[in-house]
Amino acid sequence: MLRTQFIAVAIDQAYQRRQQDAEGEFYRKIAGQGPRNNFQSTTQGFYIATAAGGLLLYNNNRDPEKLNRLMQQHLQEFKAPSSATPISPGTVDARYNPSLPKEGCIVRVQARVLGGYPPTTDRWQKIFQSSLSRDNLWISKAEQQALTKGQVMQSLQERIARFHLVDNTRGEPPMWKKQEIRQLKITFDGTTLRGSVHLETADGKRGYVAQLMGKIELRSGKIVRFDMVADGNFWGQGPYSRNAPLGRFPLAVGFRLADGTDAADQVPPQGSRGWVQGYIR
Amino acid sequence: MYRRYLPVIALTATMLFPELTSRIYAEEDITEQRFLQLYRQLQPAVDEPWRTIPWRTSLLDAQRQAITEKKPIFIWAMDGHPLGCT
Repeated sequence: MLRTQFIAVAIDQAYQRRQQDAEGEFYRKIAGQGPRNNFQSTTQGFYIATAAGGLLLYNNNRDPEKLNRLMQQHLQEFKAPSSATPISPGTVDARYNPSLPKEGCIVRVQARVLGGYPPTTDRWQKIFQSSLSRDNLWISKAEQQALTKGQVMQSLQERIARFHLVDNTRGEPPMWKKQEIRQLKITFDGTTLRGSVHLETADGKRGYVAQLMGKIELRSGKIVRFDMVADGNFWGQGPYSRNAPLGRFPLAVGFRLADGTDAADQVPPQGSRGWVQGYIR
Repeated sequence: MYRRYLPVIALTATMLFPELTSRIYAEEDITEQRFLQLYRQLQPAVDEPWRTIPWRTSLLDAQRQAITEKKPIFIWAMDGHPLGCT
């Protein structure tokens, strides 16, 4: 149904509810007709709308059967508005439209908890416990060129550690602060990347100790292969990534060069949200 | 003479100091075999249903297409990008 009868769009509403441009205005027009119309807090959920901005449905229930029923129902009632005209993007709000630096590259990052959860029969817990997360790592032109000389720039090492060695398998994770990097060393010999990392909060309640290994290939100063894994033990959780296994548990993070075939390749890294300069310069 | 107690000492240490044993585990180099195993484990299945949907990431692009195709817009709006970090 989503493939053929709707125009499906996926967004991080933390951007659209704030951004001061045509995209933000159109989103707020739709969401403002629903129950979550205070744009100072989350407006997350599923919306069905017309191209003129009329809200047909708001729902925040993750039960696929229920959502399917509601979609069927609203599809039958839908009439394409004759008054809708294409909205020009105009000048976009740069703060909420971060873009990949010129000649930079995108690497897909996916994490999985490999064990440590107690057995459960709960359908939703099972989904969270076996989930594979997704984020993107951005690498600058300068960092790629440094790799051609066998150097892993400190900026790249810290970006990988602070924003991508996180447990984002159950929700939005806290990123690491610079001072939470207890130890970090990544080296590259021209073909194989190796590293070790120890990240830990000041109170010791959350941390990750891991080894890294990667296979990287470069051609004319550009990365053409970036396959890497981090393998280690994580402990703790964040306010939006609760229900982590107790104690230390194995967490692995995989990296793979994006080829642009996945819509998610265009999504800015979670760590760049609201302040891209803090993520990449 | 203490050698026979080593397994008991190791087990007790594991129970009392899990931090120590997990750190030792994490400090082992990743072998080629482990690298390949993990790498495969960390790739999404190509046929996962949500990956077969032509998601757009721009609401205005969706609006234009909805006009052309006379279809309603389905918006999946989350905290964190639904196609990325959730």
